[in-house]
Amino acid sequence: MKGNIIGKRIPRIDSVPKATGTAEYTVDLKLPGMIYGKILRSPLPHARIKSLDVSAAEALPGVCAVITAADVPMGKFSFFQWLADKTIFSSDKVRYVGDEVAAVAAIDADTAEKAIELIQVDYDPLPAVFETEEAMTADAPLIHDQESNIGFKVERHFGDPDNAFESCDFVVEGCYKTDRVAHCCLEVSNCVASWTPEGRLSIWTNAQAPHTQRQEVARILEIPLQDVRIINSHMGGGFGSKLVMDMKLPIAAVLSKKTGRPVKIQNTRAEEFSTAKTRYGYTMYVKTGAKKDGTLQARTVRVIADNGAYHDKGPATLNFSSMMFATLYNIPNIHYEGMVVYTNKQMSTAFRGFGNPQLTFACEVQLDELAEKIGMDPVEIRRINANTPGQKLQCGAVVPTCGLRECIEVAAQNIAWKEKYNRKDKLRGVGVANMVHTAAGGRYYGYNATDSFIKVADDGTVSIVTPGLEMGQGVHTVVAMIVAEELGLDMKSVKVLSNDTDLTPYDLGSWGSRATFVVGNAALATAREARVVIIETAAKMLDTKPEFIDLENGMAVARGPGMPEKSVSMGKLAAYAINNMKAPISVKGQWADDIPEDWDIKTEFVKNVRSFAFATQTCEVEIDKDTGEVKVLKFVAAHETGTTMNEMLAEGQIEGAVMQGIGFTLMESMTLDNGRVVNDGFLDYKLPTFGEQPEIDVQLIETGDPHGPYGAKGIGEAGLVPTAAALANAIYNASGIRVTELPITREFMLNALREK
Amino acid sequence: MKAFDYERPSTFEDACRILHAAGGSKKVLAGGTDLIVKTRHKVMAPEGVVSLKDVPGLSDISFDPEKGLFIGPMLRLSDVETADAVKTQYPALAAAVATIGSTQVRNRATIGGNICNAAPSADSPPILMAYGASVVIGDGKNEREVLLEDFFTGPGETVLRVGEIVKQIVVPAPPQNIFAIYIKAARSALDIALVGVALLAVFDPADRVVKDLKVALAAVAPTPVRSRQMERIVIGNKLDDTIIEKAVVESCTDACSITDIRTTEGYRDTLVETHTRQALEAARSWIEKGGVL
Amino acid sequence: MKRELNITINGQPYNLFVSTHRTLLEVIRDDLDLTGTKVGCEMGECGACTVIMDGRTVNSCLVLAHEAEGCEVQTIEDLTEDGKLHPIQESFVEHGAIQCGFCTSGMIMSTKGLLEKNPNPGEDEIRSEMRGNLCRCTGYVKIVEAIEAVRDGGDK
Ligand SMILES: Cc1cc2nc3c(=O)[nH]c(=O)nc-3n(C[C@H](O)[C@H](O)[C@H](O)COP(=O)(O)OP(=O)(O)OC[C@H]3O[C@@H](n4cnc5c(N)ncnc54)[C@H](O)[C@@H]3O)c2cc1C
Ligand code: FES
Ligand code: FES
Repeated sequence: MKGNIIGKRIPRIDSVPKATGTAEYTVDLKLPGMIYGKILRSPLPHARIKSLDVSAAEALPGVCAVITAADVPMGKFSFFQWLADKTIFSSDKVRYVGDEVAAVAAIDADTAEKAIELIQVDYDPLPAVFETEEAMTADAPLIHDQESNIGFKVERHFGDPDNAFESCDFVVEGCYKTDRVAHCCLEVSNCVASWTPEGRLSIWTNAQAPHTQRQEVARILEIPLQDVRIINSHMGGGFGSKLVMDMKLPIAAVLSKKTGRPVKIQNTRAEEFSTAKTRYGYTMYVKTGAKKDGTLQARTVRVIADNGAYHDKGPATLNFSSMMFATLYNIPNIHYEGMVVYTNKQMSTAFRGFGNPQLTFACEVQLDELAEKIGMDPVEIRRINANTPGQKLQCGAVVPTCGLRECIEVAAQNIAWKEKYNRKDKLRGVGVANMVHTAAGGRYYGYNATDSFIKVADDGTVSIVTPGLEMGQGVHTVVAMIVAEELGLDMKSVKVLSNDTDLTPYDLGSWGSRATFVVGNAALATAREARVVIIETAAKMLDTKPEFIDLENGMAVARGPGMPEKSVSMGKLAAYAINNMKAPISVKGQWADDIPEDWDIKTEFVKNVRSFAFATQTCEVEIDKDTGEVKVLKFVAAHETGTTMNEMLAEGQIEGAVMQGIGFTLMESMTLDNGRVVNDGFLDYKLPTFGEQPEIDVQLIETGDPHGPYGAKGIGEAGLVPTAAALANAIYNASGIRVTELPITREFMLNALREK
Repeated sequence: MKAFDYERPSTFEDACRILHAAGGSKKVLAGGTDLIVKTRHKVMAPEGVVSLKDVPGLSDISFDPEKGLFIGPMLRLSDVETADAVKTQYPALAAAVATIGSTQVRNRATIGGNICNAAPSADSPPILMAYGASVVIGDGKNEREVLLEDFFTGPGETVLRVGEIVKQIVVPAPPQNIFAIYIKAARSALDIALVGVALLAVFDPADRVVKDLKVALAAVAPTPVRSRQMERIVIGNKLDDTIIEKAVVESCTDACSITDIRTTEGYRDTLVETHTRQALEAARSWIEKGGVL
Repeated sequence: MKRELNITINGQPYNLFVSTHRTLLEVIRDDLDLTGTKVGCEMGECGACTVIMDGRTVNSCLVLAHEAEGCEVQTIEDLTEDGKLHPIQESFVEHGAIQCGFCTSGMIMSTKGLLEKNPNPGEDEIRSEMRGNLCRCTGYVKIVEAIEAVRDGGDK
């Protein structure tokens, strides 16, 4: 769709503050009287705390408070409270290098750091376990007081895979692994906590889900919800890392309470690498069967996810990947078994794709293996099995619109598939992978709705209060575009107010590619309400009927048969509403996902997703025979957007995600030494730089969506879901080396090339 | 970061005196790109730093066709890289320096710091060793000159005694008919060397025989090392397939790679072989074309 | 220990009294509240703290404040003139080179340093010169486009 605003390449509304350095992030925040907190973390992966002595730290000049488990509520916490397993501080034992043990607040960061070093902790080391499958063995050390280290399990079953495999002409089986990778937001995790004299807690932080984090803070501190306020600033990256409350928040809150001063806690980069949560590492045993003609008949998987030391988004991640597993290609017989397993490592959490990038890597690589066995071109097998619009899936989900076929065609064409796939010269090759992802978040809270408010000021500007959480993906710009489109305004006349749980309506936050869809829909509903009121007002003012009024260029214009054109500016109109009608223009709008009332998430998990977005990525690589280096020459990323709200923003999401995918596939990995992250800086945790960026050809396929705003689908996460598989498949095409484990290091490639 | 003192003497002698008096607890501060990182990482905890910023003359660079190149230790890497004499007379040094860190790092980091930091992975020492460079060391009273290849004693360790400062880097004038190259293996555009191979060949254009060869390696031993075994195989011969293969086989003989967080011993050795071969091939084609590209 | 520091930042001379171990970045951000310059790693690895010091881009996290004695430092706050965006800022805005924006100040300062050194860099030079600035959001594509557009003196 192309409107006056929607569909255009409009610059972000926050780009000028960001380009001039005036945009304020939480790290920039300084409150009067503010002091600095620092957390003492466990140096050991698994140990009993024998004793703890904070007296030297307390005695250090400049130290304002020292707190330990004795000073905080010690109820257990987790994102899913039924899995609660973590206290604010460890009192009896520590379970990973980085576990919180104590904290200090001091007049400056240097003093706080010095004080931390003065705290004496006597540990009794326990045997630790770092690999999931080792942690599952009978004699593995138990990390929690549970019978085993398996923390959560889920199983889904559709059709009869066992029988189906029997009747398949071709079956492939394999094990695939993905590593834990770090979000690497350029702004480190940090917060400032402060209490009002009345006893209300404000926390400024970079939260992707402020309203649920507010609940989490209240829950862990055992204080009433109304006493907590979360305030966001601009945010230096999220990618899933800031969905669930970090322990810094309650720790800063307690330090602030104790000292009566605002307390800031900020990670160092090294601390961020070694303690911030990572992507869940998946080990996946996959089996796929097809008929001679390439139609997929059955697929099973066993996923073992690396939980790290405590629970976080594991169940959501496993559930979500199970659903995408059951959706792509509509395979009639499916078995999915997933579990999260505790290890003595930093926790894992959501990371752009909720497990889908991991599982898509395994499945889409295996699909190539299957195609090869059948003797079929990888693009062809994907064409044959592609989902189609209106499809009702075997697993129960419905795919209202689907552009997978178009994605496949354009991705294949733009990489010159036919010509390059069969070229067998030097170590160059092309690869392809498909994916499906949610385009609208998830419903697993049982609630998927939100509101916004609009007011028209007497200067003609329109403000919208939205819970849309801006972390760089552009949702505030999209919200402003929707309002401008509906009310005939330019972008400058729309203000977006957000970022404060006292101000914004309840919302679940920015994750699951849901913000444009859910928050955008609410903005659209609100703007349309406002439009009605504005037009009614204009009709009164211009003495005509509402149906003759249009809103354009900041004016309400009356045009009708046989009447002279009349118009009035938005400002005058608002003033008229205030002064003459005694009814200032302010409206509320809402969007609510019509979740079926009898929906049982346990048995019908597939209804978790409202809309789906499909995509195909192809790429070309060249491998250096002497060093094993994989050079990515080009990516084509064909993604279904439903309706492209803003081409520039959509491209940016996908380009950035593809680069994260390249990092995930070829470069990124946490290197551990007895549980301690040793590559805790950007020189040794290899993040893609300007030098690694290939040409990225983004193709946006518009298929519409019956529920999205203007037919839009969310595309925030999709961009990295198929990237790893496309790369691994291209590597196979180039070298005949089948890669089943990420990251694909140069060393691995070189050894594999030499073995051949 | 742990607090430390800061002094900024205005003469070389004063700087030496302060360092001497501190008995090793104070450190020379050049560009600070290693010193600050190490202090922040708590790998180092100096009581104080002695800035050479105000000591005159330490950033000079001059070239004499007979005597060679004289570089002040405080010359920033970006100035080394772009200095005319370096670009024209020692292009492989310019190329090696260009691989270091980022523009911002090279705008601060000094050549003296890159040497004195004595990281096995540092990019300028191997090529400087290949060019036969030495350093002039002063303690405020006396001076001594040490060949760069004798300067390093271990990771982060050098022959420098308390109170001594590197005053100058001296690179002999390049002989006629040479070929020099530095190849760095790295995991991304911004990286510390996994290995570095510096090679300098002096040849006779008439019979194409390699008269002298110096190969120095980064990141494969506690210090930058010469690959002498390999040099011996090549010297006095023409670079043909057989000699190159023989040389490559010996390329790791003087190395003792280790496995660390960046990569493994085995891969390092492979990279040494690969890049030594590349360097020798490049030398061969240069020589075969009579010293022109 | 503290000592006197004379420094000019964005054309404004300052006479400060600063601890000897503090960095230029800390002085800029914490003492002078010029928070447009960002902090991402304090190890010289991300480029978020890039400022221009005596005409050259540096990682302000790796410069001891007292090493900037007598120097002229320019930060992102100094780029706009009479409220008008600098052409580099303009280009970053127009080309969608900004997402979360945390790398942006550093990117823009590095671009300025690059174009002042060489007003006509090729794509390879842009990538090499900018490699000390990391961005986790954009995948660099649009940043390179934005820089090329400034180089080419207008919108592409
Ligand atoms: C992000 C990043 C990337 C990097 N990448 C690379 C790379 O790719 N390759 C590479 O080689 N290096 C790299 N480095 C390391 C570093 O930049 C260099 O080693 C630099 O040249 C050091 O110079 P400096 O002037 O900053 O030294 P400083 O940090 O000031 O000093 C380093 C050491 O040398 C001593 N010293 C300095 N000058 C003298 C002197 N004249 N006499 C006696 N002692 C002295 C100091 O006391 C100190 O111990 C990187 C650093 C960073 C932060
Ligand atoms: S903060 Fe200085 S380079 Fe990252
Ligand atoms: S825009 Fe977020 S890091 Fe670059």
